[in-house]
Amino acid sequence: MSIKPLVALDAAAVTRSIKRIAHEIAERNGGAQNLALIGIIRRGASLAARLAAELHSNGEKPGIPVGTLDISSYRDDGKGTPGDPRLLGRDIPFSLDGKRVVLVDDVLYTGRTVRAALEALADLGRAESIQLAVLVDRGERELPIRADYVGKNIEAPRGQRVYVRLAEVDGIDSVIIGNGK
Amino acid sequence: MSRLSKTDVVSIDDLSLPEIERVFTLADEFADALARGDTLSIANGLIMATLFYEPSTRTRLSFESAMHRLGGSVISSADMKASSAAKGESLADTVRIVSGYADLIVLRHPHDGAARVAAEYAPCPVLNAGDGSREHPTQTLCDLFILRRKKGKLKGLTVALCGDLKFGRTVHSLIYALARFGANIVAVPTSGMDVPNYVLERLAAERNYSFSTVTMDELKSLAGGLDALYLTPNAPHQMALFTGDLGLDKAPAGEAPASLDAFYVTRLQKERLGGEIKPGDYVRFDARALKTHRTQEAVVMHPLPRTDELAYELDSDPRAVYFEQAAVGVPVRMALIAWLIEQNRKKRASARDSSGLIRFKTEPFPRCVNSNCVTRFEGAHLRPRFRLARTVDRASLPLRCDYCERELRIEFVGHARSHRYYKYDESLYGYVRQWIEEQSLAVFETVKQAEESGYEPYRRGPQREVMNSAEIADAVNSLASQIAADIPDLTNVSIFGVVSHGAVLATRVRDVLDARIGIHAPCAAIDVYGSGEAIHLLDGASSLSVEGRTIIIVDDVINSGWTIQRAMTMIWQHGRPASVKLAVLIDRGHLAVPIRPNYVGKNIPTAPSERVQVRLAPPGTNGKHKTHDRATIYSMLEAAKAPEQAK
Repeated sequence: MSIKPLVALDAAAVTRSIKRIAHEIAERNGGAQNLALIGIIRRGASLAARLAAELHSNGEKPGIPVGTLDISSYRDDGKGTPGDPRLLGRDIPFSLDGKRVVLVDDVLYTGRTVRAALEALADLGRAESIQLAVLVDRGERELPIRADYVGKNIEAPRGQRVYVRLAEVDGIDSVIIGNGK
Repeated sequence: MSRLSKTDVVSIDDLSLPEIERVFTLADEFADALARGDTLSIANGLIMATLFYEPSTRTRLSFESAMHRLGGSVISSADMKASSAAKGESLADTVRIVSGYADLIVLRHPHDGAARVAAEYAPCPVLNAGDGSREHPTQTLCDLFILRRKKGKLKGLTVALCGDLKFGRTVHSLIYALARFGANIVAVPTSGMDVPNYVLERLAAERNYSFSTVTMDELKSLAGGLDALYLTPNAPHQMALFTGDLGLDKAPAGEAPASLDAFYVTRLQKERLGGEIKPGDYVRFDARALKTHRTQEAVVMHPLPRTDELAYELDSDPRAVYFEQAAVGVPVRMALIAWLIEQNRKKRASARDSSGLIRFKTEPFPRCVNSNCVTRFEGAHLRPRFRLARTVDRASLPLRCDYCERELRIEFVGHARSHRYYKYDESLYGYVRQWIEEQSLAVFETVKQAEESGYEPYRRGPQREVMNSAEIADAVNSLASQIAADIPDLTNVSIFGVVSHGAVLATRVRDVLDARIGIHAPCAAIDVYGSGEAIHLLDGASSLSVEGRTIIIVDDVINSGWTIQRAMTMIWQHGRPASVKLAVLIDRGHLAVPIRPNYVGKNIPTAPSERVQVRLAPPGTNGKHKTHDRATIYSMLEAAKAPEQAK
């Protein structure tokens, strides 16, 4: 059975979500003074950069540190067997000590990617706190992980997939619910 | 046995100013000797071993060339990573063995602080050719030497540093070294790559430097129109006594220096770029900056290789000295080796201060937070070593790793004799100093770690009971009900309790499930902060199985959530569970990570300064003893309250 792809968020809605999350981050943390944004490659990294830009345009001081974590669920040994997500690389050229870190990803689903990210961040120093911002929370969690900032909650059955598209990567901003294959 | 006396150069700070001057005098002589084509025999009969754990062709060739020019011999391993390190031999063992083959070791290593470790274990002298992002003292010597050669002196010079002044440790070493010689520094950072505050604080504290912002038209094209930060020695007294933040925006406006003697343009390290700093934003130094009366005498330095930050049009300008800077690598390294040979005839006091080192006598030993620190790789023989950091912080105790200098912020401190622990605040600083002297300081990452190490909280004011034994029993029953309602297939469940109260609760929850549904789930205890087996089986469990299981983590109180994060890391080391659920007796509402419990016995809102402590009768005791179960809430020590129990 084929289900017609459903647009859950269009470009304007994606922009509004990012703007709202940026406001929530500033509100909860009393500005961006002690903030660092860490995006999970690829779309989480684009979202982190946009959140930083959004915070700047809201009057926060420029220079909010932005880093990236590269976490993948597939082994790179060519065998192609899906394993649990693990850290492949990171680009965080600043100290996390005492920082309020906002971890940014596009979709929160099982929580396994976030767990791997927390492990990587814990290894990098003693952040004051780590908060999680996601564009889409699609539920179906397998681990006790919860996001602090959510663009949109989408209930999609397990067989379906949620596609986040961002202009930097895909040429267009949208969130689409579609078939598995 | 080495023929040289034990003198290590791990950091530029290991050399006194007269010693650096002596190295420069020798470097001048060797530069002349090389120009004349003299054959030297100063190092006749001596063998230098070059151990390069990461490639650095220029540094290695210039060291080896220097030793050959002095008449000595060189042995080296083509690729250290592929030889002993690959067999798992520690750096400490390798340098002890190589000391039997050579009189001098030159080390290049990817881990921060590795040269310090090598120097401590090798009986022969060790020269640091770069360790991780830490020091590279011969590079700093070359930088200082070329400046001195071009300008005749270092004291009183005004040197402008441009570009990435934040991440490059070699530029920080250069700043400290320039300050030791009394030079003025004009910092012209690319936006977002300012000199870090800890560097400024060290200059103020150790060298009495003061800071002001200056506007210089010729720097505008370099700094994107921003003001530059001017750092000068001999500050008025009130400037030296600052606390708190320092930076471009905090420094008062001042008068620009009358002239600049040198520009030091730093390399753009692409891997450092992130976020909003784009390659196009980086400094691009060209002849324009040298056109004004203030800058026409300035020389231009660069550590090479360059990318786009240094215009090729400068190469033919006599003020561009960067190729000469690279060429003095050999005579400067010859001079350092010759200086080392001279030390054989001298009694030399170590420049390194071993006082102020914090020695921890009992576990848990603090762990350096720098994942590239040599202490994270060298294994058990290397006990982490710290000093009190200079940074002022009200809410945490800043320690500095003695190997990699990375700061670690401690939230909970303990006194090893009274076995009390405290939430750190600045009113405790005096006590902490005293405990360091008595070697009775203990430090903890979390409340749980402190309590599992046998420490009792220092409390203030009355405690109040928030749960009695009946309420705890109700909460355990409630957890079991929540679990049974949520998880359809309990046969696939394993229950892991966090040591020690979580483990007691895990068996209690299991027993309730067993009595109600007749499913006897395997139980295990996770020792998050212990040094032994991380996960061990509790009664009734036959084998530890994680793969494909549904694991319920049980803990008594969830505070920050870091303990649960570590527990998950330990579980993942054993396999990939199908899912993980979190059950806590009490959620007190101060989570610092995006972890949330699935099942909560009771929500008890607390203030951040408050603690919740749970006491449980040990497993196996009958119902009567469970009347001792209780949860209490109390306030931790606050500022201006002295910990009298500690005395």
